[in-house]
Amino acid sequence: MAATTESVKTDAAEAPLLNKKNMFLGAALYIVFYGWVRWYEGVYGWSAGLDSFAPEFETYWMNFLYIEFILEVSTAGILWGYIWKTRDRKVMSITPREELRRHFTHWVWLVMYAIAIYYGASYFTEQDGTWHQTIVRDTDFTPSHIIEFYLSYPIYIITGVASFLYAKTRLPTYQQGLSLQYMVSVIGPFMILPNVGLNEWGHTFWFMEELFVAPLHYGFVFFGWAALGILGVVNTEVGAISKLLKKDLA
Amino acid sequence: MSASQSAVRSRAEAVKVSRTFDWLILFTLFFVVLGGYHIHYMLTGGDWDFWTDWKDRRLWVTVAPIVSITFPAAVQACLWWRYRLPFGAVVCVLGLLLGEWINRYLNFWGWTYFPVNFCFPSNLMPGAIVLDVVLMMTGSMTATAVIGGMAWGLLFYPGNWPIIAPLHVPVEYNGMMMTLADLQGYHYVRTGTPEYIRMVEKGTLRTFGKDVAPVSAFFSAFVSILIYFLWHFFGQWFAKTDFVKAA
Repeated sequence: MAATTESVKTDAAEAPLLNKKNMFLGAALYIVFYGWVRWYEGVYGWSAGLDSFAPEFETYWMNFLYIEFILEVSTAGILWGYIWKTRDRKVMSITPREELRRHFTHWVWLVMYAIAIYYGASYFTEQDGTWHQTIVRDTDFTPSHIIEFYLSYPIYIITGVASFLYAKTRLPTYQQGLSLQYMVSVIGPFMILPNVGLNEWGHTFWFMEELFVAPLHYGFVFFGWAALGILGVVNTEVGAISKLLKKDLA
Repeated sequence: MSASQSAVRSRAEAVKVSRTFDWLILFTLFFVVLGGYHIHYMLTGGDWDFWTDWKDRRLWVTVAPIVSITFPAAVQACLWWRYRLPFGAVVCVLGLLLGEWINRYLNFWGWTYFPVNFCFPSNLMPGAIVLDVVLMMTGSMTATAVIGGMAWGLLFYPGNWPIIAPLHVPVEYNGMMMTLADLQGYHYVRTGTPEYIRMVEKGTLRTFGKDVAPVSAFFSAFVSILIYFLWHFFGQWFAKTDFVKAA
């Protein structure tokens, strides 16, 4: 009797399989933050972002860049460090229910990665096209680049690597080695950031007008393909979750 | 992990868990594919897609279908062959169009003030529906590549015709004949405006006059077939679940 009561109590106190609150708060964080960023671009792009030699450019844009660098390096260090330091050293001995819960948490990370990828690769990248079709660049660090390359790309890199690390440190599925397509889907889009070096070098060298389909941009295209690695991640996850649920769904 | 234990407490919970995962997977797949597809498309065919004065009868019709059949082919390779889900192409195109429309409205118009009827995206939906339907009806990658791929290229121009036709009517401006779309371009000067950058209506094919668009669409359809094959195999590779040993 006592044991039964204890068991029911444990169930009632048990953490939910999917922490919806965390998921919606996480999504809101990205959306509200990027909404603010877009507001900042709208106001200070036109008023302080047209001439990189002007003092207000330094105030509103270069300082923004420096702050980004510091926050991104700190966030990456703290977040990745935390996930690694708190890793489960007995990951192969967890219960199936705990494994299922961790898969849900892993998917919360993947949902965040999806949101971050959307903003980086779609929203801010195409936005860059219209800005540079409108404003002739006189620096590598234009307002749209400061947001696109040095904010939205690092954010999806931080999120993607965090998701990968979570899977690697807490899920039995990922203990058999390194998931090839998971690495492709995280490291490929990450490589878009180093490719900025080629992009800026080219633009500085040739100072071409903004032809978006110029071959100089094909590095971004190639690494963008790596986003398709998510197909492999989905298949790996479906396999693992099916295994956990198979006999109950039969 | 003990094999005797169950991850769920009942069949009902198992079903609920399974459905929840379906939504999480669909959301993630949709937005990650959107990101990859959009960056690919904007940097391989973007200029023709951004502006009406680039949407000509030759290069837009040729380039846009060829570069856009890529991701649909790859995603079909996974969703159909693994899960028998017949919407790989449509889900890609819906994602791309969502990303583009948000951008054209909030950024092209909202930040740099180009009117939306100057910078709306191309319509890829008819080709995507046909591509999915052909795969579903035939269950054959070869048939989808040949029939669907050809339809993808051929349907692009008719699929966009009702939208672009009003902007292709001729106008005379300062003694010069041009289209209404060209005139929009003159009024909205961009860094890509100079005629040595704007790649439209180039080449001797122009001398064939009215035949330009169908010939371009036919060529585009031919290359789309080849690209479909190639990207279908890319999709199969990306769908792999292999693990590599850490060095």
